[in-house]
Amino acid sequence: MASNPLYIVLCSGEHEKIQMAAMMASVGAVSERPVEVFVSMNAVLAFAKGSTPEERYRGGTFSDLLKAKHAPDAITLFQQGKELGDLKMWACSMALDVQGWELDRLEDDLFDGALGLTRFLSDAENGQLVTL
Amino acid sequence: MADQLLDVKGLNCPLPILKAKKALKEMPMGATLQVVATDPGAVKDFEAFCRTTGNELVESKAEDKLFTFVIKHTA
Repeated sequence: MASNPLYIVLCSGEHEKIQMAAMMASVGAVSERPVEVFVSMNAVLAFAKGSTPEERYRGGTFSDLLKAKHAPDAITLFQQGKELGDLKMWACSMALDVQGWELDRLEDDLFDGALGLTRFLSDAENGQLVTL
Repeated sequence: MADQLLDVKGLNCPLPILKAKKALKEMPMGATLQVVATDPGAVKDFEAFCRTTGNELVESKAEDKLFTFVIKHTA
């Protein structure tokens, strides 16, 4: 049952926002809704390959609670969304360039490629856009 | 009696939905999945999940803070 695609621009490096993006992306994808996530700015750093959860997730009070309650890892939620539904993830080509990174510096099997903002926004005209 | 049981007691959003989707994906069409959850949000979540995916919510009941759903794999 096809429905309105969901486009998420994730630019914050805050744990709470990354977690929310992962929850929205995974739930949307398993609910038969096409989802695309554009990862830019500080959020890119959270997807660095091989990081520990302590390095990856920094935030405020709720971040501490999420860790204490052993909430599902955001990277795992994104992976499950890809495995079970139509979820695509794009790394912002500008952010990679500024950081001096290639795609291989990011977690494996998560990103579908690098993309420019213009193309992402153009695609998003057909759906609902959320920025975190 | 459902064909398969999925126990997601103690798990919060979005894990019950993700685990149900994974289980349904591996089940033949027409088979039924019984999900037992403790997250009160699961009641509305499973209603929405079945509506958007096209699977049939055969049963939804709440008893002593335990929520039970039976989903028929139809989509």
